Amino acid sequence: MRLPLKLRLYYGVGKYLPFLKIRPPQVDRQAALTLRPGRNALLTWEKRETGETLLTVPQNPKAGRITRQMAKWLRAPTERHVELDEVGGFVWELCDGAHTIESIVQKTGKQYKMSRREAEVSVTMFLQMLHERNFIGFYKKVGKKS
Amino acid sequence: MGQERFMPTHVKTQEERGTPETTVSPALPARTVVGWQGIRCVLPPEWSVTGFSLDRENGYLKVDSPGAGTMTVQIRWLNAAAQNRNMPSLYSVLAPKVRKLLRRPEPQKELPKPDLRANLEKILKDTARQSKKARASFESSVKPEKTEGEHGERTAINFSWHGAGRGQGKIWHCAVCNRVVIAQVVGAAKDQSAMAGIASQLFASLHDHSEDGYDLWALYDLQISIPEDFRLETQKLLSGYLHLAFLRGGEKIVVDRWGLANMALKKFSVDEWFANNALFGLKRFRREERTTEQGHPVARYAGRVPMMGRVRALRDWRGSPRRFPTRYEGGVWQCPESNKIYAVQTLHSARTEGLWSEVVSRCVCH
Repeated sequence: MRLPLKLRLYYGVGKYLPFLKIRPPQVDRQAALTLRPGRNALLTWEKRETGETLLTVPQNPKAGRITRQMAKWLRAPTERHVELDEVGGFVWELCDGAHTIESIVQKTGKQYKMSRREAEVSVTMFLQMLHERNFIGFYKKVGKKS
Repeated sequence: MGQERFMPTHVKTQEERGTPETTVSPALPARTVVGWQGIRCVLPPEWSVTGFSLDRENGYLKVDSPGAGTMTVQIRWLNAAAQNRNMPSLYSVLAPKVRKLLRRPEPQKELPKPDLRANLEKILKDTARQSKKARASFESSVKPEKTEGEHGERTAINFSWHGAGRGQGKIWHCAVCNRVVIAQVVGAAKDQSAMAGIASQLFASLHDHSEDGYDLWALYDLQISIPEDFRLETQKLLSGYLHLAFLRGGEKIVVDRWGLANMALKKFSVDEWFANNALFGLKRFRREERTTEQGHPVARYAGRVPMMGRVRALRDWRGSPRRFPTRYEGGVWQCPESNKIYAVQTLHSARTEGLWSEVVSRCVCH
């Protein structure tokens, strides 16, 4: 999971000056598997007939008036599209805030006949990638964002 | 010398061998078979390999329990002969070569038995140090030494400990393969009852050498047996793609396994997929249809190794000229039951005709 810049700098200092004993908190595997990924509400998505899922990501949704005006003048795109393959789409659909990472891993493994380890590695890497792009967030409990 | 005895220079064909080996028969779905560098064991379902070493002489294997489980199986092995090995003298280097030249037999040397207790004490000392760091009291119990195995080839000591966690293990020396193996199940204090069951299953199923001259390589749903004198040269264990390459002199066995076959084969046929990933261009080879032990149709390609391939083989070639690879055999099949694509390729000499068929017949895909 990618940390905010402020924290990354803070822990970076701890890495190069070990006597300060600044270390990032250790997230154990057990706790990570109980998190519930939820989709970013600003994103829209549609499932294609071929099995792929198309995400529509709005560009600068929180931009100010001037930025929006500038974007309009420069004809900058207001949204971008990201295509997920069949497995990615399957995981994306399960990111509803109700399923834990553990249950997503189990369902993906069962659906695509992957071994437990393979499914866990693929799904966690994919969720990490989605989180870095702010497509999803993680809830500790139902309805409470971590 | 011990290894020479098992080296199959002429590999038996399926007809000569009769029924397939029972040791690599299709695994029951309710268990996980693990095999690495001659070590093999059976564990409960969904346990997966999370750590391994590439060294056959002195290595380790770590297998974790599934999901949020905290139990781990740790297996370490070391070659007892390597432990006692001193700096080679000029005599020790030249004498075997002269004996071979004069066709004199090697003198029978009695290898000294490794000190299991000393090895065990070292392990327990390390574990006690870790417990001390975690500020937990440490206690261990070591059982008396006993002889095990079908022919009494194992000298074993059982042990258990509890401190920052719990552990139940066994250390033994096998006189056949001259390996010292330390296997233990480690877990949290709450795992005590489950740990006993896992430990008994592990110790009952753990083998440190092959009985039929073939080593089992099994991890992440892949199960294949390779002649034991082939050494692992390269590996790629990615999510959805496994690649193992073995070398014996210049002879080579390459095993590939791709996951999500239904998706991979949306745009390609099995043959096209193989053509994109084979060691050589397949146009020059003869193609024929075969069937695996599990009943899957295999596209098999065979022929003489092209000139460029021979040059490459010459670069890798070590040892006897009889092992210089001149033939190529490769095959690919899809296993719909496990949703995987398997490819086995061999580069071998004329003496080991049938190597590919042997390896393929010992591959368990579902």
